Amino acid sequence: MANETPRTSVQTTGHVWDGDLQEYNNPLPAWWIYGFYITVAFAVIYWIIYPSWPFGKGFLPGVNSITYVNAEGKEESWHWNTRAKLLKETQDAAAIQKPYYDKIASLSYEQISKDPELSSFVLSAGKAIFSDNCAPCHQAGGQGKIGHFPNLTDDDWLYGGSFDKIHESILKGRRGYMPPFAEALEPAQIDALAHYVLSLSGQKAEPAKAAEGNKLFHSQTAACYYCHGDDAKGRPIIGSANLTDKVWLWADVPGARDDAARVAAVRQVIANGLNRGVMPAWEGRLKPEQIKLLTVYVHELGGGK
Amino acid sequence: MAATSNPATEQYNFDIVKKFAVMTLVWGVVGMFVGVYIASELAWPFLNFDSPYFSFGRFRPVHTSGVIFGFGGSALFATSYYVVQRTCQTRLFAPGLATFTFWGWQAVIVLAALSYVMGYSQGREYAEMEWPIDLLILFVWVAYMAVFIGTLMKRKQPHIYVANWFYLAFILATALLHVFNNIAIPVGLFTLKSYSLFSGPQDAMTQWWYGHNAVGFFLTAAFLGMMYYFVPKHAGRPVYSYRLSIVHFWALSFMYMWVGTHHLHWTAIPDWTSTLAATFSIMLLLPSWGGMINGIMTLSGAWDKLRTDPVMRFMIVALSFYGMSTFEGPLMSLKDVNALSHYTDWTVGHVHSGALGWVAMISFGSLYHMIPRLWNTQIYSVRLVNLHFWLATIGVLLYITAMWISGIMQGLMWRAFDDFGNLQYSFVESVAAMHPYYAMRAIGGMFFLSGMVLMAYNCAMTIRQGQRAAQAAPAVALASA
Repeated sequence: MANETPRTSVQTTGHVWDGDLQEYNNPLPAWWIYGFYITVAFAVIYWIIYPSWPFGKGFLPGVNSITYVNAEGKEESWHWNTRAKLLKETQDAAAIQKPYYDKIASLSYEQISKDPELSSFVLSAGKAIFSDNCAPCHQAGGQGKIGHFPNLTDDDWLYGGSFDKIHESILKGRRGYMPPFAEALEPAQIDALAHYVLSLSGQKAEPAKAAEGNKLFHSQTAACYYCHGDDAKGRPIIGSANLTDKVWLWADVPGARDDAARVAAVRQVIANGLNRGVMPAWEGRLKPEQIKLLTVYVHELGGGK
Repeated sequence: MAATSNPATEQYNFDIVKKFAVMTLVWGVVGMFVGVYIASELAWPFLNFDSPYFSFGRFRPVHTSGVIFGFGGSALFATSYYVVQRTCQTRLFAPGLATFTFWGWQAVIVLAALSYVMGYSQGREYAEMEWPIDLLILFVWVAYMAVFIGTLMKRKQPHIYVANWFYLAFILATALLHVFNNIAIPVGLFTLKSYSLFSGPQDAMTQWWYGHNAVGFFLTAAFLGMMYYFVPKHAGRPVYSYRLSIVHFWALSFMYMWVGTHHLHWTAIPDWTSTLAATFSIMLLLPSWGGMINGIMTLSGAWDKLRTDPVMRFMIVALSFYGMSTFEGPLMSLKDVNALSHYTDWTVGHVHSGALGWVAMISFGSLYHMIPRLWNTQIYSVRLVNLHFWLATIGVLLYITAMWISGIMQGLMWRAFDDFGNLQYSFVESVAAMHPYYAMRAIGGMFFLSGMVLMAYNCAMTIRQGQRAAQAAPAVALASA
């Protein structure tokens, strides 16, 4: 039916299917053929540059090569390959950073944080190392997560916020622990303690219960002062929490709906204790100079002391 | 619009074609719905409901199998049985086997989906089905091959029409791919779990030899077969160039087999395999375009129909998306481009410009042509076809634009270094940056899905109209055909 279309003089192949299906016998479009030849030429060039055709037990290595430093510290050239490329690129990146890391290794923490250029480097490298290693627990900005991981951006430090203490925390890890009191104390006693603990940081608490809790806190029955100190300000040497500030890690007091929920949150910690306060040691996983850099970074995140 | 020869509905075995055509619509709706759901999960994660049964990891293969094998596969069974009969001028060989392919194939899709939701997967993309389902696929496929080749052999035409070459290449290649990629040892006779016989890079390369040729032969060659029948048939014009169809058929078949490894660039495979995959992908560009040229040049001269005929519009847009994604693919297979695009949403966008833009659009066009002819009637509503066309086109554009932006942004963020040579962004920052584009992608998917639902309704009404006419006055229906 479309045999005599005016736009072409080309004949059909003469076959007809299904009543009216036919085919013109147009030649291959020239641009199509030459386009194909160009892609073939492109492929040949690619084969010359990169490792390509296999033969025998080897393959054409390609003319492109990569120079890197081998395990013996000597320069070595290899035909282009992804392994050599990775070595080369990591070595190049390390070479750029080496002067900074050398300085960090040789200077004191105070000197590092006072050097503007080095501080910029700490901020840049620290963010990258922190994001990969610390952020999964302490969150992207170091703000932590109540009930799980301490906030690193405030000036409250369980184990101390000096450079040396932060370094120790990262290097060796930490293991926070509080025994459960559910079986040692009566529910009413735990309730009283919870009210007292809330009153310490100026939260609403029933005065009578808080007073009773105060007595218990400093008694041999509950003996809270052993770890949290007479003044309830905690003892960094064992990582016990300061109960007099408004910073909460385990009991979600800020997130509680009402007074009853606040009491319940504290009571729950006293009753069940804690054995989740585990931070892994990073010694051996990160290089010493990276840990030193991270120490300065974390110190600067919030209120390092 | 009338069927070409009066008793076509009696001359050929259309019963099996009808069954597959209906299931194409059903799986289209189901598979695309699951797709929209998992896209929404990525944008709004509460949709996981903290349940493994709703998780992205289990629903994703339900979506891919539902649309590729359920929707695409049923469309291919339907159209190949239709085309091979009409162009060979003979009824299907072994109708019993053909019926078996229908029930067997539907069972495969249902069983696969159930097993994924229960957590069974081979962990091989597009081949997640565990070994008992793989065996069922094998039986179905051998039956399919027997029916198709048997029909070709008893043809009453001296020449085999070009569409059938493509269908045959698809059937043969899929058999080969399926068998070799699924060689696995079951843990026990009464367990679903199995482990691949290959290991390490060999396993990965076998999987992507399969994976990319599933794209090449299942989603490209087979749908080119569809295109080679329905485009000239619907336009009422001869195919542009017989010579081009031969040359690009063989070039395509030869080149595709080499390129799967480009999915494994920058991984622990020999570098020379990655180079060969990249170059054959580049050399595949023009052979792929051969089909687009032949399709578009066939339509040239019938451009006026684009204004009035939305079915034709589906076909031309399908060919355009085909041309675009077969240009994008070789580009992404170059080592340096891939270093940016690998593992990003760009890949997801690329797949969908092919799957939605090409595969689904050409299927829509072909089904809108075929379904009225199967039931010997007219389409229920051309206006709804037109509406479907716009919903689908807007949906694809939203989808791929969102994925281009988010994919390239991801790729750039992952490798951004600051002045000191430190990574500028953490991974989670790139995830947060994706959110608006994930929402945009989900909305694009909703457009596409609503078009699909509209089509299912339109076709259901068409079928009902055809059945009523046939019941009311069989003689009249025949005469008016």
